[in-house]
Amino acid sequence: MRTFTRARTALTACLLAGALALTGCSVLGEDSGGSASAGAGEAEAGADSSASPEADVPYDVVPLLKPGKKYFGAAVDGAPNSMAAIDTYTKMVGKQPNLIEYYAAWGDGFDASGVRNAWREGAMTLMSWEPFDTPVADIAAGKSDAYIKEYATAVRKLNLPVVISFADEFNGHWEKWGTKNVTPADYVAAWRHVHETFIDVGASNVIWAWSPNIVNPVKSVKLKPYYPGDAYVDWVGLIGYWTIEEDGAFDSVFGATRDQVRTFTKKPMILLETAAMAGERRRADIRNLFAGVTADDDMLGFVWFNHKKRADWRLEASPLALKEFKRLAADDSFGFDVRKP
Amino acid sequence: MTSRHDHYTPQPYDPYAEEENASTWFNSNGQRPSQQGYAYDDQYQAYEQQQPPYTAAVPQQPQGMHDDQPTYALRTVRYQQVPDEPGYHIPETPEAGWEMAASRRRAWVSRAVLLCILAIQAALSLRLSNTAFQDEALYLAAGHAELDHLLHGTEMPRDYAAYFSGSPQLYPLLAAIVDAKFGLAGARTLSLFFMLCTTGLLYSFTRRLFNERAALAGAALFAVLQSTVVMGYFATYDAAAVFLLALTTWIVVRTDRAPVIAVLLAAPVGVLAVGVKYASALYLPTIVVLALLTAWPHKGGKAFARMVLLGLGMGGLLAAGVYTTDLMAGVRQTTTDRTHGTDTTEFLLEQTVKWGGLMFLAAVGGAISYVRRSRMNESPLALHLGNPGWRWRALLGLVLCGTAVLAPAYQIHLGTVVSLFKHVGFGLLFAAPMAGVGVTRLVGAHFRYPQLGIMLWTAVLCLGIQQADWRFDIWPNSTKMINAIEPHVDRKGNYLASTPEVPVYYLYDKSSHGQWHSLFGMEYKDEKGKYYSGDEAYKAAVKDGDFDLIVLDGLTNPRVDDIIAAAVKGNSHYRLLAEIPFRNANGTSEYRIWIKTS
Repeated sequence: MRTFTRARTALTACLLAGALALTGCSVLGEDSGGSASAGAGEAEAGADSSASPEADVPYDVVPLLKPGKKYFGAAVDGAPNSMAAIDTYTKMVGKQPNLIEYYAAWGDGFDASGVRNAWREGAMTLMSWEPFDTPVADIAAGKSDAYIKEYATAVRKLNLPVVISFADEFNGHWEKWGTKNVTPADYVAAWRHVHETFIDVGASNVIWAWSPNIVNPVKSVKLKPYYPGDAYVDWVGLIGYWTIEEDGAFDSVFGATRDQVRTFTKKPMILLETAAMAGERRRADIRNLFAGVTADDDMLGFVWFNHKKRADWRLEASPLALKEFKRLAADDSFGFDVRKP
Repeated sequence: MTSRHDHYTPQPYDPYAEEENASTWFNSNGQRPSQQGYAYDDQYQAYEQQQPPYTAAVPQQPQGMHDDQPTYALRTVRYQQVPDEPGYHIPETPEAGWEMAASRRRAWVSRAVLLCILAIQAALSLRLSNTAFQDEALYLAAGHAELDHLLHGTEMPRDYAAYFSGSPQLYPLLAAIVDAKFGLAGARTLSLFFMLCTTGLLYSFTRRLFNERAALAGAALFAVLQSTVVMGYFATYDAAAVFLLALTTWIVVRTDRAPVIAVLLAAPVGVLAVGVKYASALYLPTIVVLALLTAWPHKGGKAFARMVLLGLGMGGLLAAGVYTTDLMAGVRQTTTDRTHGTDTTEFLLEQTVKWGGLMFLAAVGGAISYVRRSRMNESPLALHLGNPGWRWRALLGLVLCGTAVLAPAYQIHLGTVVSLFKHVGFGLLFAAPMAGVGVTRLVGAHFRYPQLGIMLWTAVLCLGIQQADWRFDIWPNSTKMINAIEPHVDRKGNYLASTPEVPVYYLYDKSSHGQWHSLFGMEYKDEKGKYYSGDEAYKAAVKDGDFDLIVLDGLTNPRVDDIIAAAVKGNSHYRLLAEIPFRNANGTSEYRIWIKTS
């Protein structure tokens, strides 16, 4: 009997030791594995607080890349941070714009509340990001990485679609980041670097608009060397205005640029900034604008630059032209709710 | 013990004793014993009848030559005869105060405890939650494809039989029918049903092999193993296979006293188990040997006939199965000729010990203890039972415990940890009866050390819960990934995914398995007709924009993930659709999804 009890005690001791060893193993295993992963998790959380499993599914911008209807955009003072000016503009032209452009300097924070304001009214925000004080080559070299990362994180966290046009009118000599100061290689490197940083952070909700000025005033500058490549660009945004220097045909304004761009990419185009100079021809120019955009299936729409800057581009400046604009804008093919493309 | 009081034994004072004795005498049943009083009474009466009545007078003297005074001297007085035995009798007391044989009450108590065990098992399984694992997704999608093929004649997207580790026409079909009606939770609940039945059968055949106590202990340990808990909520054919193996064993054990031919009932069930999952064949030899061992104490030499009959029956059916179906290729690829992995022996041993070591130890302890002492009941009557000899007991212990190490040994030979956790459970089903014996021996007679049994069970339970939770957390929750890609999946696209089975299952109505490619090997021919294979094929196909969607999870095949991610970078066809971070048992990672936009 005693030997039996002893045997049982020994067996129990073995079993318990085994159990402890097993639980110990798993606890230790968990600890080592857990701490490594926790470290990784913290690093990731530090870089991107939205990168938690609880975050929503990233916004799918693909349907917005080439929607069935045309973008009906506007750039008005104060929008989209304050939607009051947009409401006035809507009242004036009779239709709610669904693409609202604003200008931000390199170094500014991301205006998430502005994007949200616009979204609430069914409009997407287009941000023109202009590196006034930072050389493009520095951006390419990664000197602004902390800023880009922070910005990209904010964009991702917002999880609403945003159009970004980085350093537009790069082919003009009049901009600080224009042909006088920046080489095409630097420009392309900077663009790709910004784009890649956004991708690394997972900000897939950005539509990238590469935006040259129309080539008419700078015919000698070839666009192709400035093109970062289809992998880095979603839209080709053309910037061009109807002025009295040339005739008012749509092709006279955008034709040459469009043809040149079409030699190296098939990405859809949008008139990222356009307007017609006040004057007698304005009504006709507006007609040409609408007709030209409607005629081209690859032309996604336009953004009317409703500012008084260098010239008075505002529609309210010429009531007759405004009336014509209002009539044409009433067409169902212009404007749609970006929340339900 | 003896019932005879040959000498005076002082008894504790019992105030009621005298009174009771004075009136009448009751046995423990509270009834008057049928034979009260002393047997001596009867004997005495018989003696009285034989003897002439004794008259109390001066005996007559023989009248002879001596006319003498009558005298009392020299006369022998006839002495009253008294029997040697005492004149009272104490009734035979049974050796034990309780019945050793099964009683109705005991059966119900055991069943109630079994029900508790099953409830615990069900609760442990049902608390697991995650989206479909790739294996589950694969079998369910294959089942749906088979179903469509059978009902509507739709072409099969893949030759599933060529690479499945079980017949695609058995479990996947059944699971798909349940899935169509009740979804993934339904298919998983079907597995739970199988596993609960397995535990029930385990209880039943252990009870027949040993007794209720060992059966309950074995079932209680088996019910909380990681393997049992996970397989009980895992829509793969493991639960069905383990259930069929348990049923085969049950038939073999149940027919131990039946005519030899009855053992053949087990043959089709065992072969069906192999059909459901080929690896089940590993356990058939154990069952065949059990056919011998279980019948040996009752039938002696006839038991050999039983073994041979079962072996021939199973062999014949298996051969028929191999020749009439086209499953051999799948058997070779997934089971016998499986490609060797790179997992080390130490790692596999460590995992095996973690997942089943404690229960296996209990089984080995039980087997050793059973060889040393066969008595399974406190009742002294058990001593008189004709117990099987130590050789038989050793053989039974060896067969049952040995079966538990078959699968780990084979996987160590293959060097792969894939599915090991399930196969540990397959083996422990057979070791469970011995583990049950081990626990009863640990607890001791009359429940002397219940705390030891409770400690062991609690340890197995804690390990089981922790490991099952971990197991269900090693694959990412795919809900967001599926939501992200769903709008872009159609019947025309060509898709690449780390775990294509998951979208194939969840988007079964929108695409077909044929449209999805995995990261495990590919062939590609470009427009110029140049042929690529392996990594080069992925690079070329991505470069040409051959895939409409690319979904990487960073887990399944990180090496190929990196190759593809590098090929996508700067690729003009693709745009990042979404990056979806997730946290799983091994840390954090993310789904990276690219879509072809040009």
